[in-house]
Amino acid sequence: MPTQQLPRLNKQSRAEQIMKENKNSHTNQSKSPIQCACPIVRAEDFTFYYGAKAGVENITMDVTPCSVTAIIGPSGCGKSTFLRSINRMNDLIPNVRATGKLAVDGQDVYDKRVNLVNLRQQVGMVFQKPNPFPKSIFDNAAYGPRLQGIRKRGALDEIVEQSLTAAVLWDEVKDDLKKSALALSGGQQQRLCIARALATRPRVLLMDEPCSALDPLATGKIEDLIAQLKSKYTIVIVTHNMQQAARVSEMTAFFCLGELIEYDVTSKIFENPSNKKTEDYITGRFG
Amino acid sequence: MRTIIRGILNNVFTAVAGTSVVCLCMVLVAVLGPMIWRGGSAVFFKGTVEFRKMQLALFGRGNEAKIEAEQKRPEDARRFVYDAIEKFKGGIDTEALSDKARQIYRQFGSELRQTDMPGEEVAELRSITRDIRKRLEIAFASQNRDEINKALTYVNSFRDDSRFKNSSAEGLFQLAEEYATAIQGINLAERNEYRKELAEVEQILTRLLGPAPATPTPALMMDRFGATRWDQAQKLLNRLVWHEQWAQQEPNEPMVKMRTPRSQRFAGTELEGLFDIIEQQLPEMLAPKLTFYWRYFIDDSTPGHYFGGVGPEILGTLLLTVLAMLFVVPFGVISAAYLVECASDNLAVRTIRMCINTLAGVPSIVFGMFGLAFFVLFFLPIFGVPSKGCILAASLTLAVLTLPVMIRASEEAIRAVPQTYKEASLALGASGFRTFVTVTLPAALPGILTGVILSLSRVAGETAPVLFTGAVALGPMPKSIFDPTRTLSYGSYDMAVGDRLAAMVPHNQFGMVVTLVGLILCLNTLAIILRFRVSKKLAGQ
Repeated sequence: MPTQQLPRLNKQSRAEQIMKENKNSHTNQSKSPIQCACPIVRAEDFTFYYGAKAGVENITMDVTPCSVTAIIGPSGCGKSTFLRSINRMNDLIPNVRATGKLAVDGQDVYDKRVNLVNLRQQVGMVFQKPNPFPKSIFDNAAYGPRLQGIRKRGALDEIVEQSLTAAVLWDEVKDDLKKSALALSGGQQQRLCIARALATRPRVLLMDEPCSALDPLATGKIEDLIAQLKSKYTIVIVTHNMQQAARVSEMTAFFCLGELIEYDVTSKIFENPSNKKTEDYITGRFG
Repeated sequence: MRTIIRGILNNVFTAVAGTSVVCLCMVLVAVLGPMIWRGGSAVFFKGTVEFRKMQLALFGRGNEAKIEAEQKRPEDARRFVYDAIEKFKGGIDTEALSDKARQIYRQFGSELRQTDMPGEEVAELRSITRDIRKRLEIAFASQNRDEINKALTYVNSFRDDSRFKNSSAEGLFQLAEEYATAIQGINLAERNEYRKELAEVEQILTRLLGPAPATPTPALMMDRFGATRWDQAQKLLNRLVWHEQWAQQEPNEPMVKMRTPRSQRFAGTELEGLFDIIEQQLPEMLAPKLTFYWRYFIDDSTPGHYFGGVGPEILGTLLLTVLAMLFVVPFGVISAAYLVECASDNLAVRTIRMCINTLAGVPSIVFGMFGLAFFVLFFLPIFGVPSKGCILAASLTLAVLTLPVMIRASEEAIRAVPQTYKEASLALGASGFRTFVTVTLPAALPGILTGVILSLSRVAGETAPVLFTGAVALGPMPKSIFDPTRTLSYGSYDMAVGDRLAAMVPHNQFGMVVTLVGLILCLNTLAIILRFRVSKKLAGQ
């Protein structure tokens, strides 16, 4: 494994990055099925501790750019912990610590020098429960851009429209952007949250069970949306719903008791899992 | 069967809850009702002609011609009272009568000097008048009716002397005549008693009807007008008609207040019937009229709290409250934010929390002394401001007083903001501070406003903290925040303990308290409306 460089995430151009990754990848291409050519998220022996207890242990996996990666597993297996480690949302909890390596776009996110603001703008997140701010729809979508220092009304309008369109919400709300986001339905709120995350133009979108609080119809819409988004964004989705994982994802990782049991192409995981535990879980014999 | 029981229980519970709410409301009305009723009499009352006179003289309100015309009838009705007293005085005030006689004698003497009468005749007249004067003095001082009659007969024997016609000596005869009628019903032995009693009557009458006609304008403003309010007049009438005295009925027993009708004390004299007549004629004399004195809320009070309203008190209370809120809200919110967002759970923070909780229970007088020691005596001199009580020091003290309440309320409010809001903001790359200002704070605003409401009510009503730090009972309107001010709470306190006039104007004390309650209610309503609108906006309706 070559030494990882630590470029400032925003500063280096994407092209350079990919070239470098490609060069590096020659050496370790065939090392493991869970390591890909030019991963956008790469975990290597990543262990995350809550106090003395490990939330996830020795995770090694790569996430392919512009794809949907699903993480499945029983409750408490560390799916969310791993997901929230990627944009360091776990930092909010006191007494946590991480070992090993977790890199986004080649940048180790647990490096002391990492700029959290930049990291989180690169790695957007959608939460389990729709959590729009108690502000207007426009203010919700414009929250991220405003953080980036965009103040001009015209520029904000454009970004808001783009991200709401990308989240397939624009047509429903374009006439009342001034309305409070809390007046929207649950599904609309969740799509607004996705739009809000997209407005910062992230590379990776983390979704923590985004449909668990929604009805099937709204879930369907979100899934359609995910399918549309994966052409531009890398999506990592944690889900309890195995059908959902099968429907939306290209790759699937199965976590159990804080360990990555199996990580492979989705069809293989669901049709021909190589691990007994995975098979048991998928067929519903445990978990 | 079970569902039926459940239904009955449900209904019973609803009924009990409803009844208790209604009972609570009734208790509230029963408790506050009388106070509001009495306080309301500060604004809505029967104003007498004296009230209208006072309003014209002190505030320049009302139609001058109309008020003067209105005064005619009361003046006519009162004249009888003054005449009767004047006449009665003629019989008992012996010293004044002697003085008068001496004065007339002297004047006659100087008149004689200017005439062209022969010397012997002048000497004769002089000796006669001296004789008359001496006899009169004997008559005035004597307690024996025969002696008096003898002296007066002697005086009257000179009445027809043509030499006294059209001279000032005629005054002596008139004096004798008046005295003769004045003493007819008087027990001569009790003249001193009468004099004392009459002085008291006159004093009460001055309070009731204003200064007697043809007397110089009193120096004190409050003596210039009679009873301005009908209830006040009734009270004074009671004091006029009934004589009260503390008397020892049995040895080693506490003194008892004895009430005797005033007319009894003047029994047999001309004044005996006066009090009944005053009682009957009082409406004529004062012309009470229903008055709605809304300017009570803006008028200055002159002098003391005797006339006028509570304008400066309202202004001062508002100033103190608003200033204190300006101090306490930012400090409270920032402290609460620190305690919730930044502070870890260590000994220092636990101590701070304990201190805050303890401070909330400290008596307000302690804060008053603290304000005096710190703000007035230490803090102000540092900035070169004279070390005296002022609005700034008082409002800072009030801010400190209510800080614990504010911190606690804000803390709860900030803690109640869903963690998901903060997470969402942080996940978008916002810093902790930015998240707090743009997401947590707006979401916590309704709770913080609840804290504001709690603090507001406390601050506006506190007396003890402003006692030493910036409240005065009387004084000019403050010109800056470095001047002391009057406040409603301190005003009513001061009237209760320090002002002997308060008993005369109970409407003012109740008025102040009710105004204070009303003011707090208004401020709270404002805050509640604000909170309602904020929470409505947050809820997206």
